[in-house]
Amino acid sequence: MTSTERVRSTTTFASGGGQNGRPRRGLRLTAPGLPWILPALILSVGLIYYCIGYTGFLSTLNWDGASPERESVGLRNYSSIAVDPVFWKAITHTVVFFIVTFAVQTILGLVFATLMHSKIKLGVIYKVIVFVPVVLAPAIMAPVFRQLFAANGQFNWVLEHLGLGALAQPWIGQESTALPVIMVITIWQWTGLTFVLYYAAMSQIDQSLIEAARIDGAGNLRVLASIIWPGVRGTTVALGILGAIGALKTFDVPWLVTIAGPNNATQFLGTYIYQMTIQRAHVGYGAALSIILLVVALVMAIVLQAAARERKEVR
Amino acid sequence: MHLPFRSKKVLRSLATVAVVGMAALGLAACSNGDSQAKAGSATSGTVNWWGWTPTNSDEAKEFIAAFNKKYPKITVKFKLIGISDYQATMRPALASNGGPDVFDLQPGAYVQQFGSYAEDLAPTAKDALGADWKSKISKIAVNGLTAKGKLAALPIGSSYAGSLWVNNDLFSKYNLKPPTTLDEWKQVCKTFQQNNVGCFAQGAAQEGFDQDTLQAISNSVEPGYWTKASKGEKKWDDPVIVKTLSIWKELFTSGIMQEGALGAQQYPDINNAFLTGKYAMVMMGSWYTQYATQDAMTQAIGAAGVSGAKPFPILPIQFPDVANKGNTSEMFGDADYGLAVASKSKNRAAAETFVKWMATSKAGQQVVADRLDTTATLNGISPDFNKIKFVDPALQSGPVNDYLKKTASIDEPRFALLNADIENAFLAAAQSVAGGSATPEKAAQTLQQAAEAAKAANG
Repeated sequence: MTSTERVRSTTTFASGGGQNGRPRRGLRLTAPGLPWILPALILSVGLIYYCIGYTGFLSTLNWDGASPERESVGLRNYSSIAVDPVFWKAITHTVVFFIVTFAVQTILGLVFATLMHSKIKLGVIYKVIVFVPVVLAPAIMAPVFRQLFAANGQFNWVLEHLGLGALAQPWIGQESTALPVIMVITIWQWTGLTFVLYYAAMSQIDQSLIEAARIDGAGNLRVLASIIWPGVRGTTVALGILGAIGALKTFDVPWLVTIAGPNNATQFLGTYIYQMTIQRAHVGYGAALSIILLVVALVMAIVLQAAARERKEVR
Repeated sequence: MHLPFRSKKVLRSLATVAVVGMAALGLAACSNGDSQAKAGSATSGTVNWWGWTPTNSDEAKEFIAAFNKKYPKITVKFKLIGISDYQATMRPALASNGGPDVFDLQPGAYVQQFGSYAEDLAPTAKDALGADWKSKISKIAVNGLTAKGKLAALPIGSSYAGSLWVNNDLFSKYNLKPPTTLDEWKQVCKTFQQNNVGCFAQGAAQEGFDQDTLQAISNSVEPGYWTKASKGEKKWDDPVIVKTLSIWKELFTSGIMQEGALGAQQYPDINNAFLTGKYAMVMMGSWYTQYATQDAMTQAIGAAGVSGAKPFPILPIQFPDVANKGNTSEMFGDADYGLAVASKSKNRAAAETFVKWMATSKAGQQVVADRLDTTATLNGISPDFNKIKFVDPALQSGPVNDYLKKTASIDEPRFALLNADIENAFLAAAQSVAGGSATPEKAAQTLQQAAEAAKAANG
């Protein structure tokens, strides 16, 4: 069989073309495709859904993760979580963290992307500078930020040399400022991604629309608000979903910079799951927290998607 | 339906084989086939030792080299795991068949969590030291490593906390004497601060060290109360603990504790700050004795980021009488670590040989003692001060020797009576009081509730 014949044969087989030669509709997944997707299916079902199911099972246990004795406690872990003040603190931090980081990153990303489209000098260098934090691992940057925001750190040194010594604080050593520091680090790290996505989305906007608006006398702000912002709505929705899921999964920065403290001031669901499961050996409780995290992430993604679709339909 | 197989029968057969194969694999993975594993040779083989300590790999190498003089055919490979990653690493490792043969255990939470993966080493101790082996090893160390009637690990070295270490050069420079009361402590700190020198530093972001300071304060308020409360014989919301938390708060408000302490970690932040001369006092225990020596101090200063490190003499001092009641705040401690032999090890016999030599032989314990990182747990072994080079022998040898002698009579445990939940509650109480989000009374009540909840959860 020649290669051409082999391709033909495969095509016929894969498309499910009947003996009558009538082509099937589109690229619909049909039974003959099953062997091709089977490895991926086994992998995803085995690794992801099995693990979710197993975590659900663990969430009904009182177990330290090592002992052969596992006590079944039904939904008691969930009822304990409902009255756990640290859990509600983590939820509150997640919501505040998402709102602030998403809003600031969106504004900064949009502004940077707009500026970069304005043919400014040394644009490529600016793009690199804005994007570099995205590729730096939090584990590398955490000691730097710990030093920067320490009571005797460089941030306070700068404030003092600017005559703003009264504003100097032990930033990561007090409950009131630890969470804002975590948000600042996150914004610093992820604004580059927001910028790149907005930059790409803006490239898709029809230039004639902007030119027409200019002819009609629209200023920069008007163009931004009435043409660019609606034109990048899809990107904003995607970033919103990513940001929400990212907020729910937040672990590395608060853990590495503040160990989720002081006094749980930077506690998130991820850090609390780690503490309960690994450090305190309450594997069942940690699993219940994980299931709640999964449900909240799913609900949030569905709500954001639905909201975006609704708006599209209204338009 | 179009299938890529000649018949459904073939497909079904393949599916059956796949399902049976996967089930067999799963069963193989879940089964405890190693429970029947052989112990191997006691005088040859490879022993994989995992631990968070000795943190200095040279120390581990020294132990292994000394061991190999007697047992040259046993290769010991030490793998250092950071203490912050230890629980996360050990849980799956010990449950699998690829874990260590020997692993570190600490009294308290670690023994409770990982003791079930360890062999009972009481017969090994009896074999090495005779039927009265318990009288030959530090009692407090053995007790801390025993759980549910099983000696989960043989103690290698003990460590004691509740003392302070001071930078003698800084005290001499400003003509200051180590404080013995809270008022003196405040005065000393005032002088240092006037000269732009940090006074006392602590990494209050970590529970272990907050707990040390709280226990030391409590021992000044009422000696022994903390231990009784840890045993459940006394309440955590008692006025003694309220007073303890009030004094703790005062350390922050009176300028003794460094600014931003709640965001600082004892290791590496405070350790590095003290070793680079930025602070005059630090809350550390007997493990800091090693930095009284020229070699370890020079190496540690270099590791803290100082080039051309010049070692300075440090001295241990008693924790001040902060309650002003005339009580001596006694130190407390237990086994710094013990070595456990993994039940799943295929080289159990060689592993036991290594652990037995380290814990029960005079040669093994002498190497441990001479490092000054921990104090030897085998009775009668003390550091050979003829070999050890202090930074300033005339100044340090007396106080350091006395300090180590004192540890022999310590009978209050440090971690042995606690689990991870109650340790977490100490951190919450310490941070909420220091941060101002709870009063000492409220924090003490929360601590008592947490202790009751921890008791209910952990038994």
